[in-house]
Amino acid sequence: MAASIADVRSALSISAPSPSTPGPSQLKKQPSQSIRKPEGISRELYSLIGPSAPTLAAQLAKPRLKQKPNLGGGGKVKWEWRTFKNSARTDSLELGHWVKANSDPNAEYTFAKYNVQHTVYSWTQDEYTRYLQDPEWTPEESQYLFKLAVEYDLRWYIIHDRYHYPTGVTRELEDLKDRYFSICRKLVRNRPWNGDETSKNQLLASFSFDKEREQLRKKYVANLENRNPEQVQEEEALYLEVKRLEQNERKFKREREELLRTLAGIDSGLPDIVEDEATFFTVDTSKLQKKKNRGTDLDSPSVSSAPSVTKRAPVVKDPVEDAKHCIIRTELSATTPATKAAHTPAYMRSFKLPYPKAAIAPRVTQVLSELGISPSRLVMPTRDNCQRLESLMDEATTLVELKKAVDKVIQDIEVTKARLDLRETEGEEPARHPETDLEMDERGTIEPEGEDGRAQSVVSTRSTRSRKHSRRSMSVSSVDTTATSSARPATKRQKRG
Amino acid sequence: MSNADRVRVRGLSIFRPIIYGNTATVLTPKEREALSPQTKDHTHRWTVAVRSAASAPDSDIVGGADDLGYFIKRVSFKLHETYPNSTRNIDKPPFEVTETGWGEFEVQIRITFIPESGEKAMILYHHIKLHPWTLTGEPEIPPLEEALRKGPVHSWQYDEIVFNDPYQNFLNLLMAHPPTLLPKEKRYKPTPFHIANPVSLKEAVNVTSEMGVPEFTMAMEKDEAERLEEAKKKVIAEQEQWKKILIEKNEEYQQLQQMVEE
Repeated sequence: MAASIADVRSALSISAPSPSTPGPSQLKKQPSQSIRKPEGISRELYSLIGPSAPTLAAQLAKPRLKQKPNLGGGGKVKWEWRTFKNSARTDSLELGHWVKANSDPNAEYTFAKYNVQHTVYSWTQDEYTRYLQDPEWTPEESQYLFKLAVEYDLRWYIIHDRYHYPTGVTRELEDLKDRYFSICRKLVRNRPWNGDETSKNQLLASFSFDKEREQLRKKYVANLENRNPEQVQEEEALYLEVKRLEQNERKFKREREELLRTLAGIDSGLPDIVEDEATFFTVDTSKLQKKKNRGTDLDSPSVSSAPSVTKRAPVVKDPVEDAKHCIIRTELSATTPATKAAHTPAYMRSFKLPYPKAAIAPRVTQVLSELGISPSRLVMPTRDNCQRLESLMDEATTLVELKKAVDKVIQDIEVTKARLDLRETEGEEPARHPETDLEMDERGTIEPEGEDGRAQSVVSTRSTRSRKHSRRSMSVSSVDTTATSSARPATKRQKRG
Repeated sequence: MSNADRVRVRGLSIFRPIIYGNTATVLTPKEREALSPQTKDHTHRWTVAVRSAASAPDSDIVGGADDLGYFIKRVSFKLHETYPNSTRNIDKPPFEVTETGWGEFEVQIRITFIPESGEKAMILYHHIKLHPWTLTGEPEIPPLEEALRKGPVHSWQYDEIVFNDPYQNFLNLLMAHPPTLLPKEKRYKPTPFHIANPVSLKEAVNVTSEMGVPEFTMAMEKDEAERLEEAKKKVIAEQEQWKKILIEKNEEYQQLQQMVEE
């Protein structure tokens, strides 16, 4: 240690203490130096650098170190064992605790104030019948709930744990809370309130409880907890993937923007305008002229920078001006290529009227004309009206498709009914011999059930038969389209006989 | 032309409301006598035109409040081949052709824009209407007195020419000529007839020459918007019904399916 200090001293060219001097003598020397020690520099540092760094010392002197806080005066604190009473308790139990000797022995117990008493709500029979009726709850059970709530001081988990009402309905924790808070809310709302509105609303807010949401929340939490390690891993992987994609997207966008800026900027001589595409040729100019044009542009960039003022003027977005000039602005998407090929040529509004889908066009047209709308012509094909017609046509298309779906289901129903009828007659084929049928009835054994006479052994024939009857009555009500319908009455008669 | 003018202003479209169509009046016997021998059988005088949509105050024509020459270079009307030099090129406003004739036919209208627009020509078609409108829309040729009483026959279609991402100089040019706005409300003038407009259909029966020339108004747009919205409401209501039916039928079908599976 001494050696290192000596090194520093030599480096800072401070006269080293005599090597023979032992440690203690060094300390003895210090007081003579410390007289000159400036304030705000620590003793150790000063002993290292000595008085040779006055500028540093001056700077260090500026921020004074904070005084250590003086705790408890003399440092020694006297504690003593005292008994105390908790004013929040109803019994006069006395307990003891350690307190500082200098504290007021008559002071109120500090924690007594945390024993907040809840307002206990109770209701009259009249109030109950008027506001508090709930088909799920009897007045008695509500009373029981409130009794428990008061007893366990709204500790809901305990209340739920102890809740045992003889009717035997098991109630979820949320059911209990919901009932309790809804009663409180209703009572507060319907009773005369002598405070101001805000405090009433505050109170109501403190009683708010959304049962569905709470259940959903618990379900979510449970789901989150029940994920297995693979799922957690997968989720993390997905999250990383999303982050990576986002980053790529950003990077791509930036690069693209730079590219556009470089290209459009150099061409137009206006590097700050990205949106506007520079085109140097009218429709009918030849390639040769185009080349020439570009050449001159590159040669004289000063020409191109001048009109930037006129260029900016229309970019100012003023809806009133736009309406006057019939201008419609659209947000440019970054993906729209700024090429000549992508340009939409001028058109008549009515050219862009929507067409219904070819497959259902006649039906859509019919729907519209029934409503007095001609789908191919508008009186005033303005932008708004074209859009309206388009959305109308979309709706009409949906309607037509709905009708088609209904038709299909109806057809399916017919087919299924026909199948059922067919099977029924087939299934009753053996029943055409009354003897066998009877025999089987008596024995109570299997009756073949047509194509799928399975799993019937358990069920008695009687029940099979009654089901068949019901089925038949259904199919009778349906439209008679099957070829087997003629055979049916005969079978019926036989069965009855 | 500096190249900055040749920059397209992207994300912007600008349109101009126009009307195209024709007006026709029946010729009185005296007028018919004055016709040249080649056209002795002509019964009507008609004018086919492309004009701005708004009508000038107290004008005796439909539309035409603005001069469209600032962005239209030429309008070519291709008449029926039986007319001498049947393609008529009109290079300055008013862009219209007046002729006499005896029959209705379809005229091809080709609008060429000024070169600054950088746009191709546009082709429209219009059926020259000579005989008064009827409720059924079926052509009927009324007796001469009746036709005279009803006054000129008008057949006009409103439309908007939309320029997408116009060149800067073309945009400046268009903005130097803001179009006259259509009047907000229908005034004393009749509503222009349109086969898709029930209001005009109703009016058409009672139109007489004293009522003046029809005029396009914003009320017509609003009217149509309401018609469309109304229709949409009805369609949606019907959708609801059919949805219900679909659900019912589906249930029935599922029940049947279950029975099949049993």
